Amino acid sequence: MSLGNGASRDSILALRGITKTFPGVVALDGVDLAIHRNEVVGLVGENGAGKSVLMKIMIGLMQPDEGTILLEDRLIALRDPSEAIRNGIGMVFQEGSLVPNLSVTENLFLCHENGFSNAGFFSLKSMRDAARQLLAELSLQIDVNLPVAEIGPALRQMVEIARLLWLSRLYGRNNPVLILDEPTTVLADKERETLFAILRNLRKSASIVFISHRIQEVIENCDRICVLKDGKNVTEMAASDARLLRIEQLMVGHSFSADRFHEDDQGTGGGKEILNVQGLGRSGSFEPISFTIGEGEIVSLIGLVGSGKEEVCRCITGLERADTGSISLDGRRLSMGSPSGAVRAGIGHIPIDRRSEGLALMMNVAENVNLLVLNRLKAAGLLSPARERKNAQHWVTECQIKTPSISTMCANLSGGNQQKTVISKWLSSRVRLLILDHPTRGVDVGAKDEIYKLMRRLAKEGIGMIIMCDTLEEDIGLSNRMLVMKDGRLVKEVDSSPRSKPSPQSIISLIV
Amino acid sequence: MATVKARLGRVTLLRKRLPAPVVAAGAWFRRSGVAAQILTLVIVVAVFAIGTRGKYLSWANIQVILSLAAIPAIFAIGLHPTIVLGGIDLSIQGVASLCAVFVGLLLKNQFNSNDVGLWIIPISIAIGGTAGVVSGLLNTGLRIPSFIATLGMSWILYGMAVYVGRAVNVQILDTRIEKFASSTLFGVPQIAILAVVFAAIVQVVEDRTRFGRYMYAIGGDEVIAKQAGVNVNRTKIAVFTVAGIIYGLGSLLLACRLGVATSRMGLTLLFPTVTAVAVGGVALTGGIGGAKNAALGALIVTALNDGLVLMHVSPYIQQAVNGVVLIAAVALTIDRKKLGFIK
Repeated sequence: MSLGNGASRDSILALRGITKTFPGVVALDGVDLAIHRNEVVGLVGENGAGKSVLMKIMIGLMQPDEGTILLEDRLIALRDPSEAIRNGIGMVFQEGSLVPNLSVTENLFLCHENGFSNAGFFSLKSMRDAARQLLAELSLQIDVNLPVAEIGPALRQMVEIARLLWLSRLYGRNNPVLILDEPTTVLADKERETLFAILRNLRKSASIVFISHRIQEVIENCDRICVLKDGKNVTEMAASDARLLRIEQLMVGHSFSADRFHEDDQGTGGGKEILNVQGLGRSGSFEPISFTIGEGEIVSLIGLVGSGKEEVCRCITGLERADTGSISLDGRRLSMGSPSGAVRAGIGHIPIDRRSEGLALMMNVAENVNLLVLNRLKAAGLLSPARERKNAQHWVTECQIKTPSISTMCANLSGGNQQKTVISKWLSSRVRLLILDHPTRGVDVGAKDEIYKLMRRLAKEGIGMIIMCDTLEEDIGLSNRMLVMKDGRLVKEVDSSPRSKPSPQSIISLIV
Repeated sequence: MATVKARLGRVTLLRKRLPAPVVAAGAWFRRSGVAAQILTLVIVVAVFAIGTRGKYLSWANIQVILSLAAIPAIFAIGLHPTIVLGGIDLSIQGVASLCAVFVGLLLKNQFNSNDVGLWIIPISIAIGGTAGVVSGLLNTGLRIPSFIATLGMSWILYGMAVYVGRAVNVQILDTRIEKFASSTLFGVPQIAILAVVFAAIVQVVEDRTRFGRYMYAIGGDEVIAKQAGVNVNRTKIAVFTVAGIIYGLGSLLLACRLGVATSRMGLTLLFPTVTAVAVGGVALTGGIGGAKNAALGALIVTALNDGLVLMHVSPYIQQAVNGVVLIAAVALTIDRKKLGFIK
């Protein structure tokens, strides 16, 4: 399995045949991963390729259904993160795992203060000294009394790394395995260089698993690269042999069938203009951007996390206020930063997390579908139960929501049917423009297809859509046009007509 | 690696433009966590010193303020750890009432022949501590929000207090505790010294023991604390127990100072205690503020009310002022990022 310059070294940690299934999805299918002493392994793959599940298994947050984990050729079971750290395996999470109100020192030694305790009382001075010494080993000089909330994301990562190093030393592990989950997404260029300098230094006494979407930095800073695709090992190679294009190809996989996204039903999308965005900008998030969306057109926003695409959508839906520019819907200018104004104007938003933002889970299907149109369902000033039933029934049939009855609580529906309920809520309010944020996330294959069909029908009815999808293939397959964003700028507009869809590789090279 | 060091060191280098002692003193003052409270106190004192033409600053008045602030400070020291956890404890009125009834009936009194003497101290601790354990178990075991669990506990305990105490006023004939509390040491009321000692002990526990550290970790981010290995439930139960114990001691002192024990004694305690904790800078969102903040908060509120009395402000206006102070203090300390919705 091992190739390149990793082949001669002995492995510190080896995962063999790891399989993990969730209801309806095989997240990992017999994945092998070996980590050698003193190396940096890059782990790349698309969203949903199984990287995060694999990492969670490595630190004991999840248990594999099948497969074994070997630490220095010894079989181990990792039941929880604390057991992983006792074996010298730790992870720096993307969202961070430091308590914000505690100081750097307090965080470094949290729950492992025994060595500084005298008759039950800590020696604060010896803790501070140990903290300074620990950070000095990483060539860091920071005020160890500062609360973590007051230091930047770069330093926070360093503190987490220092904590993991200290803990593995405490448990007598001389070659810890550190997993860094997309550490560079929150860092500025200079901080990134600093991180890599530290990682190169750390490699002398540790192994590092580095996860990133920026393929170029993986190639430049890792010794070996493993590519995951759909929960399977695709390949691994020495970083010195790696080429950007080749890895991108491997990540995306091979071509896909054209009818998966019902491309035959795709309209030309050249209808009357619905949305007109002019010079919309928000400092710190994205630079001024202009685009239009026509009737029945599906436009995909593409970019990495941090590219600014989410913020653009949040400005259009009024959840955030843009600094500059204007948004017009059907020629009428919208007031900025007003979610209710956006809804009144006819902009619908289907959020990524439908369970917490899109649906009132503890309300039934009818109540959710009718939520935005209560005014139309009144009789003599009061809500009419008959009209409510009628409207809900109409949309349940129209969108083929599979529910025992319209009074079923939404919490009891499947993911796909919940999503259809959210969509019908907006359709019921005669929406003009829909923003779909990962509409098929957490939805099984069959329901995905129904959502695709529903989107095609909405487009035929003249509704414009902005989509951000789970995979690039979905983006390409569904959209008429793609707007590619990178580092807060609109870098390219790509046509995606049914007969001339661009290749995923060509798009990937634009976004990374 | 030298360049790395230089780059990351720049943050600290920025501060080196000012003279070092000034920077150090400023940093210490800011880091102390009571800077705003000391400034507030200075302003309150200055305003009333001017408003009363110096009468406010007389040693006699300062003695009054110190002795009046002591018991609210002790209650506030009891309440604040539950707020640091990110919860709250509203059971203080019930605990104090029940404790007061037992104090009245167990110390030497005119109704029965009981006379437990100073054993009343461990008895008060036991009553308060038991109430706290139950609150903690309700909060962690049944997973009832602390707000409701302790509100319910308050009325349960108050009901018990009225049932046991029959709502009569019991004169306390054992005056040893009262004598200790009202004496002065070098002119300083001993009860105030007791409150300071209390604050110091709790502060040291908060700063320098695992229990204290875990309490702040839970208040900062419960999920992360749990991941790091903090036994969240055990810590929470311990915090509520400590709170209950301190209420028990506080109500013992209060009953002895009043010389009369009644089940109604606790009924006015919640509002001033919560106000003191909030004014002291203990954030309602958790994780910020210690015993020193709670004690200072009580001192500020007492100093304010004393000043209003000296200036002959109507007691009704005084109440309204306290309400404004509570809301203003919370507005300044709350971390709105932590709250998804304000309910």
